[in-house]
Amino acid sequence: MAKEYDIKGIAEKIRTLRRNATELKEASGGIQAIDRNVDRILACVTILEISVNDVAEVLGE
Amino acid sequence: MSNGEYWNPILETLPHEKLQQLQLKKFREIFAWAYEHSKFYHKLYSDAGIEPGDIRTFDDIRRVPKIEKSMMRDIQGKDPFPYGDILCVPLEQVTEYRQTSGTTGQPIYQADTWQDWESGTEAYVYALYAQGYRANDRLFLPFGYNIFIAFWAYHYAGEKLGCEMIPGGVLNTEARILKMQELKATAMGATPTYVLGMAETARNKLGINPPTDLYIRKITVAGEPGGSVPATRKRMEEAWGAKVYDQVGSTEIGHWGWECRYQAGLHVNEAFFLVEIEDVDTGEPITGPGKRGKMVVTSFNRMAQPCIRFDVKDLIEWNTQQCDCGRTFRLLDGGIKGRADDITKVKGVLLSPTAIEEVVRDIPQLSDEYQVVVTKKGDIDDITLKVEIIPEYKDKVDEIRAILVDQLRLKTNLGYNIEFHEYESLPRSQTKSRRFQDLRPH
Repeated sequence: MAKEYDIKGIAEKIRTLRRNATELKEASGGIQAIDRNVDRILACVTILEISVNDVAEVLGE
Repeated sequence: MSNGEYWNPILETLPHEKLQQLQLKKFREIFAWAYEHSKFYHKLYSDAGIEPGDIRTFDDIRRVPKIEKSMMRDIQGKDPFPYGDILCVPLEQVTEYRQTSGTTGQPIYQADTWQDWESGTEAYVYALYAQGYRANDRLFLPFGYNIFIAFWAYHYAGEKLGCEMIPGGVLNTEARILKMQELKATAMGATPTYVLGMAETARNKLGINPPTDLYIRKITVAGEPGGSVPATRKRMEEAWGAKVYDQVGSTEIGHWGWECRYQAGLHVNEAFFLVEIEDVDTGEPITGPGKRGKMVVTSFNRMAQPCIRFDVKDLIEWNTQQCDCGRTFRLLDGGIKGRADDITKVKGVLLSPTAIEEVVRDIPQLSDEYQVVVTKKGDIDDITLKVEIIPEYKDKVDEIRAILVDQLRLKTNLGYNIEFHEYESLPRSQTKSRRFQDLRPH
């Protein structure tokens, strides 16, 4: 069933999410309202990575 | 099977060979993380002469030292306080404190980051989704949230699924039932003991018949083995007119197993956990079905306080069959069969308390409650089973006693003193019920 999905494409979009969130935190100037919310976003991004990117590596995608 | 059956079809239908490759990769990652960030794990593995680069196969994993509760108890209370040097992150990254219930000794402290909490929630969502929970469900929690992990993840997982969560914590049992009725709650999570106790209260004190007067159609049970004990499950399903699903997990590990709506046994979430089974006596791995052994479990995503090769002492066995749901996550035969340290010798016979539960709950003339007391008379063990007979069957005591004697002998190979008590006279509990009392001097 995994073959029905564009796992490689989804994984790439998740990587973009992480990159954007990390850049946002770097640009925040230390504003806690940004930093802490980005931390929450990154926790969710990690779940996406567990859900897709980890298995993409195993599938060679 | 439609994709709507699965929360994550990519992981849940991954060919098992690929799933094992994923497990190996994830084990290597959590091992390296713990080795590099926890003084406790670093010393444990250094003393055993194992480094991250040594983990290449499942045989290598089996060489990794196990941890157990007693080791955790030795660590905690020291710096970084109160978790000790098992901790892998700075204290300021810890956002959640929970502790074990202490059923088997001094409670264990558990630290989680928000990331850990998200992954614990995610693991629980797999269970609820597989059991048919959807965004249009209204979930009732007849449970007071506190420092124990129980049902916190049920709350967050339900919320993540889009369900409406009703926290019924401070209400008493009657008020909870009335609130469920008022709001037409469709599902709930509770211990088997409390599920049965609530139904009894609804019928006897409120005149409410749950199958016809309430709207609960799915119940997820945890905390006790009853969800996978067929006789107990049957009682719960009949009492509520609902499907009852077992779910297993613990504070230190997370929510590693659950039944799907096909109720064919517990699925192990093998994308999040590595469950190994070992022979209780020899420690040899049991990789195939049909042989019971001791569970050793690794949580792949617990980062603040990793749980790697935790010797849980729960007894489980692999099922011979695949589930019709199409998931490739393996099934356990039934649920937790008992605990290695619960199995006790009485009159020289190995006894698992769950076997007594199976017998009592299979006799409809008895109430849901019972107690087992083991004492010593001189040099001889003495075992007493206390049961309650439902009032309308009071004239059937001799008949029921004969059934109990036969079935207990058959299932446990022991003879018991059987005491019949007044209906509703034995203690009731909302949480893990301690029905087995071993009062012998040790």
